Amino acid sequence: MATKIAAGAETLLWHHGAEGHDTISARTLGFWLYMMSDALIFASLFAAYGVLDNPFNAAGGPIAQQVVHPLEGFWQTIAVLGSVLAYSLATVALKNGSKIGVVHGILGAIVLAVVFLGFEAHDLLGLIAQGDGPQRSGFLSVFFMMIASHGLHMVFGILWMLVMLVQVARSGFTGDVVARLLNLRLFWQFQASVWVCVYVYVYLLGGF
Amino acid sequence: MSTHHSDPLAHPEVQQASAARYIVGFGTTMILMLAALVITLQRRLPYVPFAESIAGLALLSLFSQAALFFGLDISRAQIWKSVSLVLTIPLFIITIGITVWMFNTLYARTMLPGDMMMTQPTLLQ
Repeated sequence: MATKIAAGAETLLWHHGAEGHDTISARTLGFWLYMMSDALIFASLFAAYGVLDNPFNAAGGPIAQQVVHPLEGFWQTIAVLGSVLAYSLATVALKNGSKIGVVHGILGAIVLAVVFLGFEAHDLLGLIAQGDGPQRSGFLSVFFMMIASHGLHMVFGILWMLVMLVQVARSGFTGDVVARLLNLRLFWQFQASVWVCVYVYVYLLGGF
Repeated sequence: MSTHHSDPLAHPEVQQASAARYIVGFGTTMILMLAALVITLQRRLPYVPFAESIAGLALLSLFSQAALFFGLDISRAQIWKSVSLVLTIPLFIITIGITVWMFNTLYARTMLPGDMMMTQPTLLQ
């Protein structure tokens, strides 16, 4: 009598000793998933901005067109993308095993990130000085929150880069240090992607 | 994604780095953002075509960054990052699109006099 075999019963689904993610890949994938959740925080901010960006929520105060300057935002775009390029080139030096190349790339990224933050601080502090701070209206609250959230990410990125400078100098390219440098690359490149959205959504649409 | 190397610098994600790719990614994004800036400053387009144009340029820029900066593709080393990004995109659309649409409808029906909404175009107008 023939034995019936259920459909798919012979399909090998898994086996002991199967190759999984290696340590570095597991760490970068985990960090990538964290960044996806971080991106959803920005999505919430963009949603709030879309809701509050109208004259009613300006409460008699300035609207987007009066607080954003598309050309000034473009200088920030150059600075943040230049910083991301510098860090990305640091990882090319990492591939070549060049410690000095990694250090130079990270230092370049830090300098350009500080320039970016300088532009941002100048804009926000200028608004506060003329009485248009985040408490002035719903629109200004979400505007400050949006810009400051991205700026805060940049600040933490700079701190992370400073830590990595020390770790590269002290420990060299160990497995842990390399994994952190790769995660920092993801984090830093992510800041450029977020900034493109902020620039277009806030500075260009607002400047129309 | 698995490797049998003991040298971390031999890892595929380290070896993925490419100066040419990063420079092209930087150049592409800068050109697209410059085009968006020029469209904005010229003020020749009505609001909706203007918004569609710069949104299209932003999308192109994000695609180029995904491919050239992040190096996302369907290779064994990158497939799960690409899949998780694709699965997250609908969440962005739902979060931003539906919220803005919902409040825009709410404003129009209950909260704002019609002429106030017309003084500055919103995303959906």
